[in-house]
Amino acid sequence: MGKKHRLTNILFLTPAVLSFSLVMIVPFFLGIYYSMTDFNGVRSVLTFVGFDNYKAMFTEPAFLYSFLVTLEYTVINVILVNVVAFFLSLLVTSNVPGKNVLRAGFFVPNLIGGIVLGYIWQFIFNNVLTALGTNLGISFLEKTLIGNKNTVIWAMSFVNIWQYAGYIMMIYVAAIQGIPANLMEAASVDGANYWVRLRKILIPMMANSFTITLFLTLTNSFKMFDLNTSLTQGGPAGMYMLKAVKTSEMLALNIYNTAITKNLWGQGQAKAIMFFIMLVIVSLVQVSINKKKEVEM
Amino acid sequence: MKKLVALVLALAMMLMATAALADIRVSNLKVEIDAALKEYAAEYSKTAGFNVEAYSVGGGADYSGSVKAELQAGNMPDIFVIEGLGGYNVWKDYIEDLSDTEFAKNTSVGFTVDGKTYGFPVAVEGFGLAYNKDLLTKAEIDPATLTTTSALKAAFEKLDGMKEELGIDAVVSMATSVAGGMTWVTGNQNFSAYLSCGLPYGDMTVIDQMREGKVDEARLTAYATFVDLLFTYSDQNILLNGNYDDNVNAFATGKTVFCHQGNWIDPSLAAMKESGMDIPAMGFIGEVMFDDQEITGLMVSAPSWYVVNSQSPNKAEAIKFLEDMVATEAGQDYMVNKAGMVPAFSNVTLEPSGDLSKDVMKAAGAGDIYSWGFGYMPDGFGQNNLGPIFELLAQKAISVDEFVAMVADQFTQIPALLESAQ
Repeated sequence: MGKKHRLTNILFLTPAVLSFSLVMIVPFFLGIYYSMTDFNGVRSVLTFVGFDNYKAMFTEPAFLYSFLVTLEYTVINVILVNVVAFFLSLLVTSNVPGKNVLRAGFFVPNLIGGIVLGYIWQFIFNNVLTALGTNLGISFLEKTLIGNKNTVIWAMSFVNIWQYAGYIMMIYVAAIQGIPANLMEAASVDGANYWVRLRKILIPMMANSFTITLFLTLTNSFKMFDLNTSLTQGGPAGMYMLKAVKTSEMLALNIYNTAITKNLWGQGQAKAIMFFIMLVIVSLVQVSINKKKEVEM
Repeated sequence: MKKLVALVLALAMMLMATAALADIRVSNLKVEIDAALKEYAAEYSKTAGFNVEAYSVGGGADYSGSVKAELQAGNMPDIFVIEGLGGYNVWKDYIEDLSDTEFAKNTSVGFTVDGKTYGFPVAVEGFGLAYNKDLLTKAEIDPATLTTTSALKAAFEKLDGMKEELGIDAVVSMATSVAGGMTWVTGNQNFSAYLSCGLPYGDMTVIDQMREGKVDEARLTAYATFVDLLFTYSDQNILLNGNYDDNVNAFATGKTVFCHQGNWIDPSLAAMKESGMDIPAMGFIGEVMFDDQEITGLMVSAPSWYVVNSQSPNKAEAIKFLEDMVATEAGQDYMVNKAGMVPAFSNVTLEPSGDLSKDVMKAAGAGDIYSWGFGYMPDGFGQNNLGPIFELLAQKAISVDEFVAMVADQFTQIPALLESAQ
């Protein structure tokens, strides 16, 4: 009996384990190996260079700038996406008319791919908004927002909110609906107004969904690539440490450009490993902090 | 159970066998000829006994990245494109020697290394400043006199003062932005003027210097002054935010007098004409980047080459496809009439119909041409390292002198980059 069970287990697990190792585990270790070679992405004879690729990235202004800009974008984006999603979820769980239509409406942008979205919004920023700005005399919009290094990160975050807030909203909606109605009713009988209920009951009760949404938005912002590629390609150019850099080139795009357009696969891979380590640290810290705030029923 | 496994394996092998029939896949970099190439490949497949499938990656997309992705996916095309020595060094394990082919004997611009021909020149192409003939006539400017930077500057000033009369938005249409995907054009193509404009054809002095990581400061300053002049009189919105389409459209619709582009826009212009638009008569002047030397010629070269994947089982068919493109009437008709390219082969006598292509052919015939040198730069260098500096100059965030200093600073990385690419 036991033996037969074991065979079944192995048979059922094999496809998942096999595909997971082939597309995740093997490439990961292969990646660590490549990061210590001078691989260019094509040739088959590799030279081992040790940690040279790791050293190189810390003296490269473009990479350091990408790191800073990724942090900036992540902070802005995590806060804004969650705030917007939270208020949307409050809106669609209240008694507004047509709340199901609203829910669907807020969620739909999430179904459009990031690349397509990037091109659509590029057109909106470059042509529609500038035309509006010129005709209505709004000087802020006369020049495209993605062509200015001070606004480009905000513009990117704005598009990401438009795309992603609906998804995060759904998680919040599920959490709000999971809160027993009698809890809220009891509080309101006791004289707690909406603001107090929100602060003392709703938000603490939603703590475990904050763990999830913060994790999702954090990793999503850190790994941003598709929108970055299609909306700005890293532009506009700017100066950093007296070198020309692309002011919206985030880490993932910088890694891609290093490995693919510059044919420095080894260096790109080394950056990717650093990227991985940073992301693991940041998300572990975030999850452990959030876990402490969760309450059990 | 065993039988089932055997059956599945047999089926899988059959599937693989059908997929591996003598089909050849052609990966193309010139989006302008996409439709014509597909049509020719389809026609060709009808009589050739094997299927040719052509597809295009380009127009701002990352070509060599896409071929690499196909390699990683085990789906390498049989014919793909390289753009010079940099590409050759990356792909040399996958590039077939084509020295024994008929077309290699009929061209002077094949891609050669150590006397062996590896690449089939896709076309002869030229660029410079395209001008609108009518508008220049109206402004009483003779394009033949625009051979120095100061002459060009005087003409720009005059045209800039006549904006309303001429009905133009700006004097020049040019695009530089990273966001518009134009760093390839500035950092590679336009920068070739620095590398070879005004020098004898194929002269390697400045290129060799560049490969040692050094700049010719006087030459670079002259070049930067010329580029800055173009930027100053450009439509600023197109310059800083526009893409390829914006760049060409403004010129084609008569909204600018000049356009920094090459004869490869001819097919796009022809398509616009067909759709009922009024396309002005055009011509070319060169990259007039000096004051002490007159430039009358254009930057003309075979900028990209088809190479045959040496590890493909169907390389014989792939070579035959290329041979027939040059040898047969249908192939020549495709290259010159359908795709509007300037042919790179001496046995092809047809002439292209586009204004700009005619000018390129004329310049090439007269030998009044300068080669392109960007293929000698490290991979992605023009796009990633130089492109953003051009954009900064366009934004007026840096001066001409700072531009020169920043380019010189980037050049110091070149020897190491080239060495790692060996």
